[in-house]
Amino acid sequence: MEQKARQGTGKCRQLWLLAGFAVLLSPQWAAADENYFGYSYGSETTPKGSWEFYQWITWRHDKGEGEYDAFDFRTELEYGVTERLQAALYLNTAYHHTQDTGPLDDSGLREIPNQDDFGFQGVSMEFKYRLLSPYKDPIGLALYIEPSYSRINKISGITGTEYEIEPKIILQKNFLEDQLITVLNFTGEFEWERFPSDEPTERELKLELSGGAAYRVATNWHIGLEARVQAVYPNMNLGNREAWAFFAGPALHYNSKKWWFTLTLMPQISGSPRDPALSSRLHLEEFERTEVRLKLGYYF
Amino acid sequence: MSLSIRWLAPAAVCVAASPACFAIQYLGVEQAQALIFPDAREFVRADARLTPDQIKAIEAKSGMRVRAAEQRVWQARTEGKLLGWFIVDEVLGKHEFITYAAGLSADGSVRQIEVMDYRENYGYEIRNPVWRRQFAGKRLGDKLKLDEDIKNISGATLSCRHITDGIKRLLALYEVALR
Repeated sequence: MEQKARQGTGKCRQLWLLAGFAVLLSPQWAAADENYFGYSYGSETTPKGSWEFYQWITWRHDKGEGEYDAFDFRTELEYGVTERLQAALYLNTAYHHTQDTGPLDDSGLREIPNQDDFGFQGVSMEFKYRLLSPYKDPIGLALYIEPSYSRINKISGITGTEYEIEPKIILQKNFLEDQLITVLNFTGEFEWERFPSDEPTERELKLELSGGAAYRVATNWHIGLEARVQAVYPNMNLGNREAWAFFAGPALHYNSKKWWFTLTLMPQISGSPRDPALSSRLHLEEFERTEVRLKLGYYF
Repeated sequence: MSLSIRWLAPAAVCVAASPACFAIQYLGVEQAQALIFPDAREFVRADARLTPDQIKAIEAKSGMRVRAAEQRVWQARTEGKLLGWFIVDEVLGKHEFITYAAGLSADGSVRQIEVMDYRENYGYEIRNPVWRRQFAGKRLGDKLKLDEDIKNISGATLSCRHITDGIKRLLALYEVALR
C-alpha cells in the first residue's frame, strides 16, 4: 500500500497534548453555541444576528493493537441568520499518532501507516433550520445538513480527498420545566472518498442514531447520559452492512453567561464484526475503543 | 513535522480572550415597589409560608411546580387601604434564575410585572414594557399561554415561557394563600 502519511515527531505529539490540556484547564477559555451533549444536537438555533464560536476536540483512542491516538479539532463560527435558521463554517484539523496498528491490506501492509502528524483536514458548512420549538410546541424539531471536504482520512490519517454530505433530523423534548432535556438525532453520512488520492473513488454511507438526556443538577450545570449507534454501508448499499458499533457514556455540561463547555466520554460498548485478536466484543477497525469529546462555546 | 506557531496561534487567542461574565440587576425591591405601586404609602411584609396542602393546591390550580415553601410578599397600602400585593419571585432561565416582581391588585388580577435580575446571555428582551403589559388584568383561569393570549418574543422564548408560567403560579398563590 502506498504510504502517504505525513511524517511527524514524538515531540509534536507531546506539545499538542500539552496544548489540549492547557485549553481544557484554562478558566479564561472562550468559545460558543451551547450543546448539552458531545455528539447529539438539540433543536434550538442561535438567535438571529448572534455569533457563536466553538472549539471541538475529540480524542479517539485504541484499535486493539499497537498505538492509536487521533485528535479531531474543529473550529466553528456560527451565525443566526433568522430566528429559525443558523449557518456555520468549520475549519478542521487532525492529529494522528499511530504505531503498528490497523488491519492488514492484501499486500500484508498496515492500512494505517505509522505516523505522528498534525495537519489541516478540511472545511465544513452547517445549516440548521428549526421547525418546532421545545419551549412552545409539544416537541422540538429541526432539520440539519452539513457538507464537508476532507483531505485527511479520519481513521487512517492518509491524505486524499473526501466529500461528504451529512443530513440530520433532530428531535428535542424537555421535561420538568425544561430542567430535563432529551434529544434524538437521525443522521446519514454520504461519503465519496479517495484515500490515497490515486485510488478509485469509493462510496460509503454511515447511518447513526444518537440521543441523550441531560438534567440540570445545579445552577449552570447539567449532567447527562448519551448514546449512539453507527453502521457503515460500503457503496451506499443498505443490504451490505460492513460494521456497526454502539457507544454510550456520561456527558457533563457547564454554562456561564458568555461561555460553556461540554465533556463527553464515549466508550464503545459493543460492535461487530469482531476480530478476536483485537477484542471479543468491540469492532475496532472502523471505530475505536474510546472517544472523549470536549466542546467549548463562546457567545458574542 | 515541526511544530509551527501558526497551528497554536488560534488556540492561544481563544485562551487569552477573557469572557466578561456578569449578572445584571435592573431593580432593587424598593425600586420595583415604587414602579408597580407608585400610589402606595407603605409596604407591609406579609411573606407566604406555604403548607404542604397549600403547595398541592397551588400546583393543582396552576399546573406549575412550587419550588419554595416560602414566598416573599408585601402588602401595598395607602392610608390603611390595601392596594394589592407585591411579590418577588424567581423562575428558571436557561441556566440561572430570573428574578422578577409581580404586583397583584386587591382583586387578584395582575397589575404589573418588572424584571429585577437577569443573568442569562439571551432573552433580556422580556424587559420590554410592551411585552410585560400583556399580563395586566390577567386572572387565575385565563389561559396564559405563549402565542395565544401572551405573545412570544423571538430569541427569548424560554424566558417568555417561564415568566408566563411563573405568573400563572402567583395567581394561584393569591387564590390559595393571600386573598
